Amino acid sequence: MVDLNTVSPKDPAKRYYLALGLEGSANKLGVGIIKHPFLPETGAAAKDNSHDCHVEILANIRDTYVTPPGEGFLPRDTARHHRNWCVRLIKRALLEAGVRDACAELDVICFTRGPGMGAPLHSVALVARTCSLMWQVPLVGVNHCVGHIEMGREITKAKNPVVLYVSGGNTQVIAYSDHRYRIFGETLDVAVGNCLDRFARTLKIPNAPSPGYNIEQLASQCKNKETLVELPYTVKGMDLSMSGILAYIDSLAKDLFRGNKANKVLFDKKTGNTKVTVEDLCYSLQENLFAMLVEITERAMAHVNADQVLIVGGVGSNARLQEMMALMCHDRARGRVHATDERFCIDNGVMIAQAGLLQYRMGNYVKDLSETVVTQKFRTDEVYVSWRN
Amino acid sequence: MDRPYAVYESPDIPSKKFTVVPGNPRYETTDGVTTRPSDHVLNAGQIDRDKPSEPKREADGSEQFTKLSQLRMNLTGLQDDINEFLTEQMDVAKAKKAKLDSLEQDARIEEEINGLLDGKDDD
Repeated sequence: MVDLNTVSPKDPAKRYYLALGLEGSANKLGVGIIKHPFLPETGAAAKDNSHDCHVEILANIRDTYVTPPGEGFLPRDTARHHRNWCVRLIKRALLEAGVRDACAELDVICFTRGPGMGAPLHSVALVARTCSLMWQVPLVGVNHCVGHIEMGREITKAKNPVVLYVSGGNTQVIAYSDHRYRIFGETLDVAVGNCLDRFARTLKIPNAPSPGYNIEQLASQCKNKETLVELPYTVKGMDLSMSGILAYIDSLAKDLFRGNKANKVLFDKKTGNTKVTVEDLCYSLQENLFAMLVEITERAMAHVNADQVLIVGGVGSNARLQEMMALMCHDRARGRVHATDERFCIDNGVMIAQAGLLQYRMGNYVKDLSETVVTQKFRTDEVYVSWRN
Repeated sequence: MDRPYAVYESPDIPSKKFTVVPGNPRYETTDGVTTRPSDHVLNAGQIDRDKPSEPKREADGSEQFTKLSQLRMNLTGLQDDINEFLTEQMDVAKAKKAKLDSLEQDARIEEEINGLLDGKDDD
């Protein structure tokens, strides 16, 4: 059985743990502070309640590096953004959380060790190391994907769901088994969020608040929902591929902007009138991609006999994806979908604090600074999940 | 005030020390050469809101920079030195790899020619 109290709170008299989480694996810089009460009932004889830690969120601050329309974010400039804002955000978070003496009050500092973009990861890890040395607080390096899963489980209280992790850098269908989050299916090329973001660049729509959100808004304005633009549907067993879909829809959008009347998908052969709008393309792209995601998620549910799905990652805040997944779950097993709002779906510091604190409470923290080297490749199933039965 | 320095070590280079050169303008600015935004995003219309603040002078009205600002300026120059050095090292590594690849290719072609001359024909 799991004992989440392997390590006592720093000050046993205060009866709680306090964790600072730092996230910066892509263009969001997040700082979060959470509190776990010390629950004596989570002793040796207790059941797995790592999804119900009674977490209290004391601060959840985020700053996003936003580029002009049509542009993605480069590692060097993203890292520069994180370097510039990290200390300020930590100060704000400590103030908001009412932490006056970080040295005395914080139990652990958690940071994203990977996966992600090298330079931004490195910038934030450097700040985490500095704070750890300055305040004499232990460090925990966290897998970004596991951070998303643990935050989703804690917020929704989903006990043992199939997890669909969809973001700008990752697309995975995951289920827990024997102390690992096992990957049942994943993208073979680009992530779903990356596919949407890159299409947004082609459309030259703003990157604020996020390109995916702006695609969702355009899709919701589609007036021709009955007639989908036909796109490739590329599910390959439990995996999927999206680069070909992106290349095809990009070519359609470019033809639309150029007014290439030879394209019969877009223009009426006889009259030359436009048959398809930008909104139609956004809607069709979303429907196509999300149908593929729902299909592989359903197959994973059948495999592990689950009736619950937890959607995490930035794309998980898309209302249409949640709706399509809910329809499938209801039809399949009268099951349900668990999802969170943008505060927890989109990359944030709280999720890193949550996964890191669970890890810390099991006695797994950094013993030497050489263990804090970040890594761009860090698969979800590499992490030994000691805090679950 | 002690000035900051940095030491780089690798299997190829036992030790290389980076030090601040007093009086050199490179170490008297917070606007580094290698830590500016990339030209690509600036050309795309990016507004740089991550620009480091200017160094501050002492409140007593003297021309002296504050100790923290001096440290920031020194570190900016050192960072430029390190970044330029590491970029050079990357170029050296790339050139080494290209040379190695070319030698390997030459050896492979020679082996193939010799094989053909000896009557070897895989097809």
